[in-house]
Amino acid sequence: MEETSTDITSVGMPAAETPRATRLRLTPAEHRRLAHNYRLKRALTAYAFLAPNLIFFFVFLLIPVAWVFWFSLQSGGVIGPTEFVGLENWVGAFKDPLALKSLKNSLEYALIAIPGMMILGMIVALFLRNVLRGGAFLRAGVYFPVLAPIVVIGLIWVFMVHPDFGALNLIARAIGGKPLNFLGTTALALPTIAMAEIWRGIGFWAVFWLAALIGLPAELYEAAHLDGTSAWQRFVHITLPLLRPTILFGLVLATIYNLQIFDTVFVMTDGGPANSTATIVWYIYRTLFTYGNVGYGATLSFVLLIVILLLTLALMRLLRGRRVS
Amino acid sequence: MRRTNTQGARPVTGNQTMRRMFGARRVGQAGPLLTAISYAILIVAVLIALLPFFYIVSTSLKESKFLFEYPPKWIPSPLYWGNYFHLFTRVPFMRWIFNTLLVSISVTALKLFFDTLAGYAFAKMQFPGKEVLFVFVIATLMIPFAAILIPLYFMVRGMGMLNTYWALILPPLANPIGIFLMRSFIESLPNDLENAARLDGSSEFTIYRRIILPLVKPAMVVLGVLTFNLQYQSFLWPLVAISSTDMHVMTTGIATQRGITVIDYGVFSAGAVMAMVPITIFFLLLQRQWIAGSLAGALKQ
Repeated sequence: MEETSTDITSVGMPAAETPRATRLRLTPAEHRRLAHNYRLKRALTAYAFLAPNLIFFFVFLLIPVAWVFWFSLQSGGVIGPTEFVGLENWVGAFKDPLALKSLKNSLEYALIAIPGMMILGMIVALFLRNVLRGGAFLRAGVYFPVLAPIVVIGLIWVFMVHPDFGALNLIARAIGGKPLNFLGTTALALPTIAMAEIWRGIGFWAVFWLAALIGLPAELYEAAHLDGTSAWQRFVHITLPLLRPTILFGLVLATIYNLQIFDTVFVMTDGGPANSTATIVWYIYRTLFTYGNVGYGATLSFVLLIVILLLTLALMRLLRGRRVS
Repeated sequence: MRRTNTQGARPVTGNQTMRRMFGARRVGQAGPLLTAISYAILIVAVLIALLPFFYIVSTSLKESKFLFEYPPKWIPSPLYWGNYFHLFTRVPFMRWIFNTLLVSISVTALKLFFDTLAGYAFAKMQFPGKEVLFVFVIATLMIPFAAILIPLYFMVRGMGMLNTYWALILPPLANPIGIFLMRSFIESLPNDLENAARLDGSSEFTIYRRIILPLVKPAMVVLGVLTFNLQYQSFLWPLVAISSTDMHVMTTGIATQRGITVIDYGVFSAGAVMAMVPITIFFLLLQRQWIAGSLAGALKQ
């Protein structure tokens, strides 16, 4: 409140309209009115500054979220009008083996890919911290795959693992091994997609961890060094605890992002073989464009929304729980 | 022990972390053995990161029928340019590049404008509902894009925007990351300049344009790079919103070339290589800011 009153005398009114002498003679009523006008004008300006973003949030995020729930109670819709079917889609989703499988595949993929890329990225970051000369070049080299559109990553790995001309299989043959049909084998297809995504993710996480590592206080490490601790001990007892919030934040990001895996699946396997790489977003896409069942796709979308929301909130709880103590 | 920033450029943000990352060196140096091991491992990591690119360049310069020969020629000779020729003649690849760049640049420019405005409002202005609105903006971060794909498709279809640039440009603008970045950057700026301008009777928009915008340039580069990279990669939404060949962006254009029975590996490999060209040029021009940009979301928690 004190702040507002100083605003009025110093900021709110241009000096030309109210000469200094008269300003002191404002009655309380005038004062209140001017203060009110000033605050109103200030708030309207702020809303005007926020308006472009808020309009887009409202139209392209909030309405769709509400709509997706309404859709989940309907059937049909791509060609004809939708029809209200109540909870039928929801009941159907829990009985649909492909829905359960695609949810399971998405989670399984995330469980392979997230630790894979975060840990390998951390290893690269720890080594990057040790080098000075050429560090920029090495950093750029490791980071380069992040530039590639994910579709391109998928295509590159199609060429890397093809049974006939894939580089990995050619190398395997050269050293006397047998070529593997990575993307044509149910047990291998999902891990192969995870491998491609991990390959891309290493660069991102290396740079992510590097920034976090360099922000840590050097004094702690010097003290620990003087105490004769090993590098591993310093990592486990100093680095990891200090990075805990960053790690959890990274996990939130990675979870939201990786549960939506689609691009690589689309170009590498298109869900096959035998739906072994069907993921939740791939299935949502298919319900819309192959099966034409909007209501069911919306139900799956809502399931994805809930899964991500719950996982994010759980991770954030972990994050906050630590910060308080 | 301290190494000064030889490039002489200022750090990309006022962030201390960033300054240390690009400039100064931590004390408690690694020994020579550890340094040697680090170089060895990092060189292996860089090779792992780059060799697949080399392999796809190599296969893109082979005629498809030679793909299957064994032992393979890692460096094809003679070089075969037919795949690239097909890419530019059989499909409208130039148009796809144009579409990608047009959409990415438009989204980036609009995002920069809107997010600096919103960041300024959240950082420096007082208004009722400020906290609530900011929490709302944070909450939108958790909405996975794939979950709103279906209603978004129907909305855009209802507006008659399928297969138009509007469909590609407008929905991606609902992304909150830039607001965080701009808010925290603008918050760190001193108030003196804008207060002085306010005393001179400048409007808020003048203050924004004359004082805030020049000062937030480093953060704008970071956000610009982040947004551009994200948009350049975008796949799922263009795949849904675009069905006419001429309106595709590069990613969807290439990916939808998969035939029903035959896969044209030539167009795939040449397309993958060509899709890397524009982004690599941007990367080489803006390398430092680029890497910082990919971090920005992470650092500004």
